[in-house]
Amino acid sequence: MLLSAPAQEGGKGGATTAVLAREQAWSDAESRNDNRALERIFDDALVYIEDGRLATKGECLSRVRRADSHPRQIVAGATTVRIFNSTAIVVGIYREISVKDGKVLPSQSRFIDTWVNKKGSWMLVAAGASPLSK
Amino acid sequence: MISLLAWAGTSAGYAQAGFDADAESKIVAMEHVWAQAYTIRDPKALASILDDGFVCVTSEGKVLTKAEVLADVKTSTALQILTESMVVHLHGDTAIVSGNFRTKGVERDKPYTRRERFVDTWLYKNGQWVSIASMVSFAGN
Repeated sequence: MLLSAPAQEGGKGGATTAVLAREQAWSDAESRNDNRALERIFDDALVYIEDGRLATKGECLSRVRRADSHPRQIVAGATTVRIFNSTAIVVGIYREISVKDGKVLPSQSRFIDTWVNKKGSWMLVAAGASPLSK
Repeated sequence: MISLLAWAGTSAGYAQAGFDADAESKIVAMEHVWAQAYTIRDPKALASILDDGFVCVTSEGKVLTKAEVLADVKTSTALQILTESMVVHLHGDTAIVSGNFRTKGVERDKPYTRRERFVDTWLYKNGQWVSIASMVSFAGN
């Protein structure tokens, strides 16, 4: 997710900045289909819900590997970060424009991500998104 | 809505929380309380297991705070919530619980059945586990 104008809660700016940087790195890696970068961001026990399906880290990486070369535009809306010691919850909106079978498919979803700081690195342990009702 | 009933076969994921050997069973029990709160419309039962900073994203993409979830419980139309599976992953003082649940209820005199998937985040805080986040999504095929 490409993030903009995050709201910080709890005055934990350093952690918030670090988590947002990881969100940005995730977004960049997805847009480049860069599995090696994603492997360093996703925790081995990652649980991901998208389109009503539960996916593991391996399944997420496999999906990226299969993704076609059409670039997706991902633009984030307001994002909120909550820091609880070594755990961070990020909530926001992203708009995505994808191309499938020659058709342009715009969509907008609300996401919620859970990051855990492990040995100094924020790792994505859970994530999910629900499409926003039009 | 959010939650689950503990039919639940769970499986441990990663790093077991050394400070709380019963973490999994405690969390599954609280997920059970969470589900019951919806079926008996009891926000008090839920209030103690949700952190004040709790946030939830619903299947419709709405964001709910703890106060909004507690208000939602009071008007719940769920009669039964059945969990089909639950998996707990421990990350030190944080736990991730994922699974599926099926809700049966009646809304505007019409019965409904809803299948959803969830991911809940729990935090070990002041000697007890509290939920800090929840994600629910309508189940895909």
